[in-house]
Amino acid sequence: MINFLTALINGLSSGGTYAIIAIGYTMVYGIAKMLNFAHGDIIMVGGYAMFSTLMLMGHPIPALAVAVVFCVILGVCVERFAYRPLRGASPLAVLITAIGVSMLLQSVAQVVFGTAPKMPTQLQIAGAVNIGKLAINKSTILTLSVTVVLMVVLTLFVKRSKIGRAMVAVSEDRGAAQLMGINTNAIIAITFGIGSALAAVAAYLMLMKAPSLTNTLGAMPGIKAFTAAVIGGIGSIPGAMLGGILLGIIECLALSVPVLAPFTEAIEFAVLIVILLVKPAGLLGKARREKV
Amino acid sequence: MKKFFALFLAVLMIATCAATLSACKKDSGTIKIGLSGPLTGAAAVYGKGVANAAQLAVDEINEAGGINGIKLELKAMDDANDKTKVQANYAALVDWGMQVSLGCVTTQPALEFKTLSKDDNVFFMTPSASADAVRAEANGYQMCFADKKQGVAAANYVNGLNLTKIGVFYQSDIDYSAGIYQEFRNNLNTGIEVEVASFTEQTKASFESQVATLSDCTFIFMPIYYAEASLFMTQAAAVTTDIETYYGCDGLDGLDTVLDLTTIPQAITMLTHFKADAENAKSFVQKYTAKYGTDTLNQFGASAYDCVYAIVGALKAAIEAGKEVTAETSASDMCDILKEQLNGGYTYTGAVTGSGTVQWTTEGFVNKDALVHVLKEATAQ
Repeated sequence: MINFLTALINGLSSGGTYAIIAIGYTMVYGIAKMLNFAHGDIIMVGGYAMFSTLMLMGHPIPALAVAVVFCVILGVCVERFAYRPLRGASPLAVLITAIGVSMLLQSVAQVVFGTAPKMPTQLQIAGAVNIGKLAINKSTILTLSVTVVLMVVLTLFVKRSKIGRAMVAVSEDRGAAQLMGINTNAIIAITFGIGSALAAVAAYLMLMKAPSLTNTLGAMPGIKAFTAAVIGGIGSIPGAMLGGILLGIIECLALSVPVLAPFTEAIEFAVLIVILLVKPAGLLGKARREKV
Repeated sequence: MKKFFALFLAVLMIATCAATLSACKKDSGTIKIGLSGPLTGAAAVYGKGVANAAQLAVDEINEAGGINGIKLELKAMDDANDKTKVQANYAALVDWGMQVSLGCVTTQPALEFKTLSKDDNVFFMTPSASADAVRAEANGYQMCFADKKQGVAAANYVNGLNLTKIGVFYQSDIDYSAGIYQEFRNNLNTGIEVEVASFTEQTKASFESQVATLSDCTFIFMPIYYAEASLFMTQAAAVTTDIETYYGCDGLDGLDTVLDLTTIPQAITMLTHFKADAENAKSFVQKYTAKYGTDTLNQFGASAYDCVYAIVGALKAAIEAGKEVTAETSASDMCDILKEQLNGGYTYTGAVTGSGTVQWTTEGFVNKDALVHVLKEATAQ
């Protein structure tokens, strides 16, 4: 029972991290109608930005701030120079470009920082809180709190603020939004900026739990988070949260059973297939009716 | 007449020169040893260690008179731990006249080397490529333990510790880790309770779950590579666990390059075949560091040093047994001679790895003592 609860709580925590990454995927998809496969690598760049700042200053808070700013600038630049020229091009061309950006970022990181893992242990949060026999890691509590706060802030931002509502408008109908006087290029750039800032936060949460940094840090979590976004219904922010947490829990439960552990990914992706068979638009996705 | 005489003298001079030169060449015939290893790139420290130590052994043997007067010659080529570069290296080494080889340093290139050299029947003895497939049948031999043999050696060690329960942490999607784990389980006393946690290439971002699973074990066997081990140890150090000792195989080599070991409260030990402070290794370590410094001194080099001496020892034994070995012996003949020796119970003494004596089983797998290397003692918590 204790083992099950521990796995469940660990699942909530890694699910929270997936959710934060998945929001980046889903917002960009909802608004720019493209899959930004370089999103996972923005996390990795955020990790290295944090590591470099730690080398200079040695404290996690300025490191996080530098990483957020750096990632926002990088995200906006990637959008401006790699994706904007392709606006209106075939979705396949944009997809390939995104994969190209992903490889570029990984290779540059490898050239600059080498292949050996870096271990920014200053980011690590040690210790656990004991409730009876159940020990909850402090890092888990922090991850969960950060996730909840970010989700609330983001939901309020999208629903209440002017820019947020402009985002919704662009995602509903870009042409009509432009006619209404919304600067769609600016809105898309802002979306990339928010997604990249979330990626930097995700990098912090990941390294706080597991301080090992290589140039492929974001690759697999990126794909998992993309899966989470699809499970929840791509384009939907609450969907990304739900999908992320669901995936995290499935993963940690599978890992805690020795017989199932080697098949963790198989189980995760099998769940994706089942959900897509039952609800093709994802759990919270809107089914679009095609007019013929 | 004068002109004719001058011409005659010139021709005579050239002929004499040519005759002397060709005679010279015959006298200085060498046995050529080829090697392909990572001299550049991330694994360069291994490749350089091997190339340096092999050269050291070759120089020593030549100074002591070679193999009954036949000198050795070593050529090391760079594959940057990239198996696609092995083919070109192999072709270049064959053109050069390679008769025996140290194969490759790392496993993937070594498997490629095996594929290429199998049909040519070129003997190679790798210092460090540990996959079982490198040895399995044909022309490849190892100085390091084959992966599965490490599992047996590790199980024997753990059986002797009188533990009732242990934890095992392994990577289920690579041959190295899964192979050692399987063999370890097969040879572990059935009375020992085993708690297992595993991970794959896709789930190695964080080991929070695995630390939770293994937190009530005092002894953890981890046949994995150092990068993942360092992450597990760091994550486990951040929470309260019962873990007292980590025990790994040669994959833990390099742990101290990424991790400050003083931050880990547990003892860290590993199974190895080379200890720099062992009695039988001292003279090698001294000679190596005097010539190349300490940067590239590692078990890979020590193993390569042993490879050269073992090959030479086996050839000398073959000569004593009446075989003919000359500088002109073809690679394939050389391979048959060496295989017969190694599979037939040849014993190499004076090794700097193991406890000094190395044999090969009738299937050709290396047989020597495993040593326990303490990377770090436990620190009081």
